[in-house]
Amino acid sequence: MSVPALKLAVRLRLLTTLLSALGMALVILMVGALFPAVGDSIGKLDLPEGVTTLLGGADYGTITGWMRSEIGAVYGPLIVSFTGISVAAALAGEEEAGVLALALAYPLERSRLLLARAGAVLISVALVAFGTFVGLVVGVAVGGGGIAVTNIAAVAVHLAFFGWAVGAVALASAALTGRRALATGAAAAFALVGFLLNGLAPLVDSIDWLKYLSLFYYYEGHDPIGNGVDGADLAVLGAATLALTALAVVGFRQRDLRR
Amino acid sequence: MTRDVAIGITGLTKDYGRGHGLFGLDLAVRHGEILGFLGPNGAGKSTTMRLLLDLIKPTSGSATLLGLDSRADSLEIRRRVGYLPGELALHPRLSGTAMLDYLAELRGGIDRRIRDALAERFDADLGRPIGELSTGNRQKLGLIQAFMHEPELLILDEPIAGLDPLVQQHFHALLRDVAAEGRTVLLSSHTLSEVERVADRVAILRRGQLVVVDSLEGLRDVAVRRLEIEFAGVAPRAEELRVVPGVREIAGEGAHFVVAFEGSADALVKAIAKYEVRSIRSRDDDLEEIFLRYYRDREGA
Repeated sequence: MSVPALKLAVRLRLLTTLLSALGMALVILMVGALFPAVGDSIGKLDLPEGVTTLLGGADYGTITGWMRSEIGAVYGPLIVSFTGISVAAALAGEEEAGVLALALAYPLERSRLLLARAGAVLISVALVAFGTFVGLVVGVAVGGGGIAVTNIAAVAVHLAFFGWAVGAVALASAALTGRRALATGAAAAFALVGFLLNGLAPLVDSIDWLKYLSLFYYYEGHDPIGNGVDGADLAVLGAATLALTALAVVGFRQRDLRR
Repeated sequence: MTRDVAIGITGLTKDYGRGHGLFGLDLAVRHGEILGFLGPNGAGKSTTMRLLLDLIKPTSGSATLLGLDSRADSLEIRRRVGYLPGELALHPRLSGTAMLDYLAELRGGIDRRIRDALAERFDADLGRPIGELSTGNRQKLGLIQAFMHEPELLILDEPIAGLDPLVQQHFHALLRDVAAEGRTVLLSSHTLSEVERVADRVAILRRGQLVVVDSLEGLRDVAVRRLEIEFAGVAPRAEELRVVPGVREIAGEGAHFVVAFEGSADALVKAIAKYEVRSIRSRDDDLEEIFLRYYRDREGA
């Protein structure tokens, strides 16, 4: 891995990443502060089953359910996906702009440049996941407590692995095609379809298995906020990330630079 | 490959389909020479340079740089070569200094004094974000990064593009220094006038194929050049100029002519000297006519 390339890739996205992490923490803090006021009055919403699963149970009567639905189900994965995708897809953006043609005329192997970008995704997503952790610790305390720190950490860890996997989809697309819009779109579409599959496929027995194709299943399928870390789920997300990164390296080494 | 060849290209082909690309290029750039790589846009100059740096892979053929294979030994080649891409792109939010520091780090460090001397030579603004710089000032950064590790071989794609005349002079002086040190330069351009002041030889590419490699003297002999002449008062008739030795074509009427000629300008200048000449301007050489001339010669032979 090229350290200068890693430092630059992180640096160029650092402000956005830090704002995302800070924004995440602040939103969670607000959500936590709201819980004492609205938690009791809403309770468990009586919604159609599909909507309920998409919203992470929609059990607003407990702090665990409240955070699971407000942060865990949608907002957390959204922000962490944005971070992973934008950092990874910037590789293709630099290729389209022509900056890579200069860097790769330097004594820098393509694989090392690509791994530097993977490292930048790793760090950026980890920062946002850390922001989530801090936000949850404070937000839950403000909301009256009730979730163990280990479970909060489990949410952050699952979120980080999820963000890395989504980022790896974007990285592989960027490395194989050199097109930023395509890389962004492919990873975002993959995440969105996964979100719907994980929520809706279980409603129909015959297609219940489709949920296993969704990154969301491994992110929240075993409810880290309620049950803690699930090693097998993390292993799947980690393996997907590694496999996609390997694919990215191979594809990036073999193809012509677009500009 | 012999030792006196800095770049040896054999049958290099990059076929993009529909006639686009580079086809069977054979070319040798000697150690210590400045070779001007000439051709209209889309002729395959950039493609050749990108192939040499392994940014793209050839369809067939091969190339050696400094005795090393362009594919297998690319990393070592890139350590020893300075490259300026055509349509240079840099990170717009970085300052010139930050960009050059990053690139220096990719080389594992460089002698900062050389970089600073280059920046001074070109009067480059390293402090401002690159996005705020004019094209010419960005191009200066491109030149600095290509020269800052004192490479043995320089591959410069349209280096003069966007430089103002004063900076062009500094650049030409730098090239002469580099050549005096025995280093090799391959530089591309789409106009002959840009390279004729610096290049020892010129290779002309057209539609992906090499038309000719020749010394500048050889090329000047066959190049069709154009003078734009404006007369005051009585002007010669077009027929009168058409018969002057070397004149190939006359355009215009009244007091204003564009005269195309080849070889020496002497006879033409003497012919118009009888009249009152208000102005003479040299037009850019028409590469297309040089090509046609070479084709004609080839068919005639």
